[in-house]
Amino acid sequence: MLRIKPTLLVAALTATSLAQANDIQINGFMNVTVGVSSNDEIEVDGYDESMSATNNSVVGLQFLKQVNDSTSATVQLVARGADEFNTQASWAYITYSFDENTDFRMGRLRTPLYHYSDFLEVGYAYNWVTPSSIIYLQSNLSSLNGLDLTRRFSFQSFDNYVQVYAGRYNGPLYAGGEEYATDLPSYGIVMGSTFNDFSGRISYHDATLSLDLDPTGTRGLDQLLAGAVAAETFDVIPGLSAEKFEVDHSKTKYYQTSFSYDNGSTSAIVEYTYLDHETDAFNNSAAYMIGGAQRFGEATIHLTYVATEDELESGPSGILQKNLESKENSIILGARFDYDTGTAFKIEAERHNEELTAGAKGSVGVIYRAGFSLVF
Amino acid sequence: MIFSKFSSGFLLSLLMLFTSAIHAEVSVIVSANNANASIDADTLSRIFLGKTSNFPDGNQAIPVDQTEGAAARESFNDKVLGKNSSQLKAYWSRLIFTGKGTPPKESGSDADVKALVANNPNLIGYIDSSAVDGSVKVVYSF
Repeated sequence: MLRIKPTLLVAALTATSLAQANDIQINGFMNVTVGVSSNDEIEVDGYDESMSATNNSVVGLQFLKQVNDSTSATVQLVARGADEFNTQASWAYITYSFDENTDFRMGRLRTPLYHYSDFLEVGYAYNWVTPSSIIYLQSNLSSLNGLDLTRRFSFQSFDNYVQVYAGRYNGPLYAGGEEYATDLPSYGIVMGSTFNDFSGRISYHDATLSLDLDPTGTRGLDQLLAGAVAAETFDVIPGLSAEKFEVDHSKTKYYQTSFSYDNGSTSAIVEYTYLDHETDAFNNSAAYMIGGAQRFGEATIHLTYVATEDELESGPSGILQKNLESKENSIILGARFDYDTGTAFKIEAERHNEELTAGAKGSVGVIYRAGFSLVF
Repeated sequence: MIFSKFSSGFLLSLLMLFTSAIHAEVSVIVSANNANASIDADTLSRIFLGKTSNFPDGNQAIPVDQTEGAAARESFNDKVLGKNSSQLKAYWSRLIFTGKGTPPKESGSDADVKALVANNPNLIGYIDSSAVDGSVKVVYSF
């Protein structure tokens, strides 16, 4: 008897720890990307005429632990090549499920700005080597600390969800390659619906943006503010108000809508976004994307057109804003090969046309990229 | 004559072999205590893709998969979900990393899935039709 007991205990302990280990769901993703640009004068994801293997490479690991029937904890660790592969907890949140259709989450969440927001870094989930940065803005605004509530509901064959969130981003914002300390409390609502092979998404986001601008500073927006102050003081642009170029508790609204189709072999997406800034330091801008893909066995060929265009304020502010006006577009043609389960090899060429950059005529160039995307 | 008799017999048996391999019928099952009498392929697909979490009668539906590579699973993915394994992987990778869904739990073979489903009216699975018995109810077969 005495000899059996410890064995049983060991067996029981082993069973328990195994069950606990099995209980933590671990999923990971990895994108390794190389890229080269035909023209140093265009600015896309930091690629230039020498080959780069790190800019858009990302590795992520997600741990999900179901603590009890209603509550789970999720942590996603992400290391990005653009940040020297420093590991960050991109997400860390607790989910409480009121029922099978209602989830409340609190912690560090992904800001649900775009159709692809939720899986923007999971390359395996889409066909491009890298989603276009023309429409999908920088990654450091992609997370916020806050909470959200998602409710799923169906009627007939329509499956729908509504997500509301509120939170705050505090950290660096990069504009023109320069860093600004940023405070960005925001809230928003997302509605999505799927019906057979069709799905649609519409969202509205409202944020209050504050940046650490300093008219004596050397960064672009500091100098813009200094220029506005000078223009007002010396009446260079009659009626100009320099105050409008400050970024202090300034409202920013973001509208997004997308529509997609995917029957397994043919897919298409249309997405439109509009960014409306109260401050005149940033130009309002519209962006849209239209794309399609066709699958042939293990190969998928895709073609995408993306464009963005600034809208200037009318009146005196617009005269100053013209110096920063931007209008650009890209055509992306690529192929994806699903050569084995959970692994895809992708190649693409992007013809990037900067019709206007900082108010002046820009340049045209082609960026070539190749990469592997894995999920496990 | 002998040769041609042999070959036509051989062909016939080969044909039968293929036919039986192709037509190994799969049944989608729920517990015998589950109130839903039948469920159409569209609803099954929505349940197994995590688009809906409810049976047609409103009760919670939790799908379970067989082990990857199992014949019934391949057949179910192909005929009901209309997706191959890499398409499904891409589909789930969009949801897993967003907290918006997890794929059905891998729950073993015909016998394992049948035992699980029989004891829990919220579960739904699929097994080879030859394994069906009174502990479970067939809501769809193909």
